[in-house]
Amino acid sequence: MAIEIRVKIPRNRVGVLIGKRGATRRYLERVTGAKITVDSGSGEVTITFEEPPEDPLMPHKLQSVIQAIGRGFSPERAMKLLNDEYVLEIVDLRDYVGPSKNALQRIRGRLIGEGGRARTYIESRTGTDISIYGHTAAIIGRYYDIIPAKEAIVSLASGSRHSTAYRRMERKIAEMREREVLEQMMIMREARSRRRMKESGEEGEEWEEG
Amino acid sequence: MSAETKKKGKIAVAHIYSSFNDTIVHVTDITGAETLAIYSGGMFVDADRLEGSPYAALKAAMAAARDLKRKGITQLVVKVRAPGGIKSRIPGPGATAAIRGLARSGLLLLRVEDVTPIPHDGCRKPHGRRGRRV
Repeated sequence: MAIEIRVKIPRNRVGVLIGKRGATRRYLERVTGAKITVDSGSGEVTITFEEPPEDPLMPHKLQSVIQAIGRGFSPERAMKLLNDEYVLEIVDLRDYVGPSKNALQRIRGRLIGEGGRARTYIESRTGTDISIYGHTAAIIGRYYDIIPAKEAIVSLASGSRHSTAYRRMERKIAEMREREVLEQMMIMREARSRRRMKESGEEGEEWEEG
Repeated sequence: MSAETKKKGKIAVAHIYSSFNDTIVHVTDITGAETLAIYSGGMFVDADRLEGSPYAALKAAMAAARDLKRKGITQLVVKVRAPGGIKSRIPGPGATAAIRGLARSGLLLLRVEDVTPIPHDGCRKPHGRRGRRV
């Protein structure tokens, strides 16, 4: 049962996906085991897995990589998405800016900042990669890191001052960190109680392997 | 497909709904009308804010897998869904964990699809042109 997925990317980005003499596409095909066909006229990309991939998530991850390249990321940065923990979030700026071309350009400028200052700042505070391209802002990062970055971007896009957007971002960062710490603590606590149960010779919860 | 499937065992569909706050693993037969197993992240943790965590999702998936094995199901089609629409389009932190949990319990995942509802120009985003004013 072959798996086939179609993605559409802007025509300007087709060359980036393929790479010099097809190097990027070949590399992606090799690491994922998929076949990638690109229609350079329409920008339509077809991913085909003839064999079911070893990693059941691979088709989805490859799709994200191609989408990320289509939203302005370099292949190197997009390939972070092959890692399980990283996800891609695409924010459509038109939802916040409205249909005007000039307003869109102005907001893009605000998001990037003078010499890329705003974008770099958000990236470094949240540990994400951000690409602002056309009418979208795309973020690559861990799920809990994307949320504060998105907060800052949405806030800037809907007109907040930079200082306000950063403040909101910091609040989200703290909130997410708290969540993660809580998760870690719970996992540790469970592991400890399971160990104790094993030691006292009682039958714990069954964790049978398949 | 049927001849091949019969040899390997029964097939079912796992609908995984994953938001920021919870993960629901709902396994049905291929028609989608008969539930075989349903578990959510909240059934395995105490704190509300942990319901969506990868760990809770993993436990939910393993519990579902246990039920499935009892019912003789060995193959799954996985459909992952985020809230979608005007809400988040990316599945929550529990989605990958739930899929891993199903795979690790020895079920064969035939394919994993993203079925997040994407509007074809449906509702307007909340908060209007001037954004959320806080």
